[in-house]
Amino acid sequence: MALVTRAEGRMYLTPLVGFLLLFLGFPAIVNLIYSVSTVTFETLRSPVLSGLGNYVAVLNDREFWSSAWFSLRFGLLTASAECLIGLFLAIFLAPLLSKRPVLMAPLMLPLMVAPAMVGLMYRLVLHEFAGPVPYYLFEWFGDSPAFLDINNAFRTLVVVETLQWTPFAFLLFYMAYSAIPLDVREASSLDGASPLEIVRWIDLPLMKPTLVIAFFIRFIDGFRVFDNVYALTGSGAGGSTTSLSIYIYQAFFKEGAIGKAVAASVVLFLASFIVLHGLNRLAGRRKG
Amino acid sequence: MKLNRTSFALMATLLAGTALPTFANATVTVLGWPGGSEETALRATVETYNKQASDADKVELLFFNREGFYDKLQADMAAGSSAFDLNLVATYSIGRYAPYMEPVDLGADAAKVFGESVLKTMQFDGKQYGVPTDLSLHFMYYRRDLIDALMKDDAAKKTYGEIAQKYLGKPLQPKDPDSWTWDDWAATALYFTKQVNPDSPVRYGTVLQMKNLLFNMMVFQSLPRSYGGDWMDKDGNVTVDSDAYKTCLELYKKLYDAGSSPKDSLSYEYAETNAAFASGQAATALQWNAAAADLTSTEKSPAVAEVTGIVAPPAGPDGRADHIHGLGLGLNKNAKNKEGAVKFLKWLATEDAALLYARSGGSPALSPDVVAKVAKERPDLVKLGEFASKYGYVMTGATSASALPVYELQAKEFIGYWSGQQSLEDALAHTKAGMQDLLKK
Repeated sequence: MALVTRAEGRMYLTPLVGFLLLFLGFPAIVNLIYSVSTVTFETLRSPVLSGLGNYVAVLNDREFWSSAWFSLRFGLLTASAECLIGLFLAIFLAPLLSKRPVLMAPLMLPLMVAPAMVGLMYRLVLHEFAGPVPYYLFEWFGDSPAFLDINNAFRTLVVVETLQWTPFAFLLFYMAYSAIPLDVREASSLDGASPLEIVRWIDLPLMKPTLVIAFFIRFIDGFRVFDNVYALTGSGAGGSTTSLSIYIYQAFFKEGAIGKAVAASVVLFLASFIVLHGLNRLAGRRKG
Repeated sequence: MKLNRTSFALMATLLAGTALPTFANATVTVLGWPGGSEETALRATVETYNKQASDADKVELLFFNREGFYDKLQADMAAGSSAFDLNLVATYSIGRYAPYMEPVDLGADAAKVFGESVLKTMQFDGKQYGVPTDLSLHFMYYRRDLIDALMKDDAAKKTYGEIAQKYLGKPLQPKDPDSWTWDDWAATALYFTKQVNPDSPVRYGTVLQMKNLLFNMMVFQSLPRSYGGDWMDKDGNVTVDSDAYKTCLELYKKLYDAGSSPKDSLSYEYAETNAAFASGQAATALQWNAAAADLTSTEKSPAVAEVTGIVAPPAGPDGRADHIHGLGLGLNKNAKNKEGAVKFLKWLATEDAALLYARSGGSPALSPDVVAKVAKERPDLVKLGEFASKYGYVMTGATSASALPVYELQAKEFIGYWSGQQSLEDALAHTKAGMQDLLKK
């Protein structure tokens, strides 16, 4: 006999489903209606249906595509950098951390800082007249690069994001690495495998699920980036550091183009859904 | 430890206290501009008002964060919020918030206290929407010591002339900053640029605020205005692609490309500009009047406080122009206590209240007779009033509901040009098309 009957299961699930319908379903429906309406802040309660014009406007908007390209590049680059550095640190520091677990605390500290605060902090740190980095560069080399100008802003933002979130990847990888039974490594060592071969043929395959998950979590976080970029460079000179989230925020609040902003968010939702569904199916096929 | 009933009750009270909004005794709630001198002055003024007001008219203040303030306010007001009776309103957002506000009659004395031109900063469609509490405009800050040394040194003057000829195509000579044209300012900025003149005692000639931010466009606007530029002509045609805008956009780019402004200027706004000028490495800066207190404070800016001079922005062919931007308080259409709120607004527009607000650190623009009464304590307010009445302007269309999006659009397009991402023609064409779309709404 099943531990929980079907009726009981439904009863237990009802509050959760109700919660999701109320707090996710309702805004989603309002979003869909707004996306095919002419609506302003004054007519929030009485939008006028106007067809797919908002979607056409979004898809024809060069800024939408450039912000999508920014988000994609930013997400891929930061996720790759964070995972590679995190993996290296996890394996490299594992012997030390197993003896001195207290060292984990300082390594995790960047995660405790709100991204908007990180943006503000680097505005100060990189400021030519107030920041320590340009100060020492001027002292030692007589010059300092413009970290946030049109040529370097993207690179600086990638480095700032990577510095903050590498500990997240590192934490996951260290846990996965620690969970690999020692006897497997010892056995391969007895069979003559070098340390590099052990990493390549034993550790990495066993850590693969964690590597994939960490990469996607970091990619999603990087793709939807808002706070630190907004605090550090805003949407950038000529919109050069406009991520998709910033694009939607600006269209909604700054331009008052509510229909366009919501249509962009629906497009983003559909694109994310297709990608995630595809990945899910891929994972399912591999298992099968 | 086991929790008994009393502990549970205490915890529940504590949680309820943090989760629920505070029950206020006051019946007029004012949503003010948070942080800075505006909050300090409003708190002090309200304290005095509450001493004389009846219980039903007492005022309680509400502040939230500056970041995204106008966006949050818009969302609140559009949702019909009655959480506040009076709310902050700014010259360039009156049109945006007017649909959710009610005009007020401040009485005839208000004009005597503030003057008609300042009252206008709170008007939309000919109706008064608020009491002007603070006025912002721009000062040209400069290093007196550097300019004095330049004026006394013949060899330096010769170099100055050569630089002006090379970069601006004009044989200029150093002048007293109070009689600068924009070309004089540009020549001075170039002369004090290490990259242009290796003998310059400072690294940069000026600090340009070029972050993609609407407020930075307000700072820039006085330049084209003094060349006769405007957003629209009297027939409502957008005129942003005028020669005035072209000349001034080119001048900014020339200075930025020549290295006259810090390399990271494309990420600079108010705070960065203050830091750059206060470091002693910049000769001039066109900056908000609010920075005067910091830049002339020996505690906050020890490197430059004693040698910082302040004049109105330089002149163009059409004379001087200074972009004015007023903050004030107006009546929420959904206010719960309109009677009490209007009573407070009328009191705030009296001479006594305005003087109290000024003495408490606010920056009201007062008529000459009234400001004379606080001239000793607040000499900067005299300059503020003088510049506002002589050079103050508001661009045509800049109080419409689309004013802020227009500034946003200009920030994106103009800075796109300055950063070399698009040509001047493209930037102006995009701006004109966008403004036509926004201003016809």
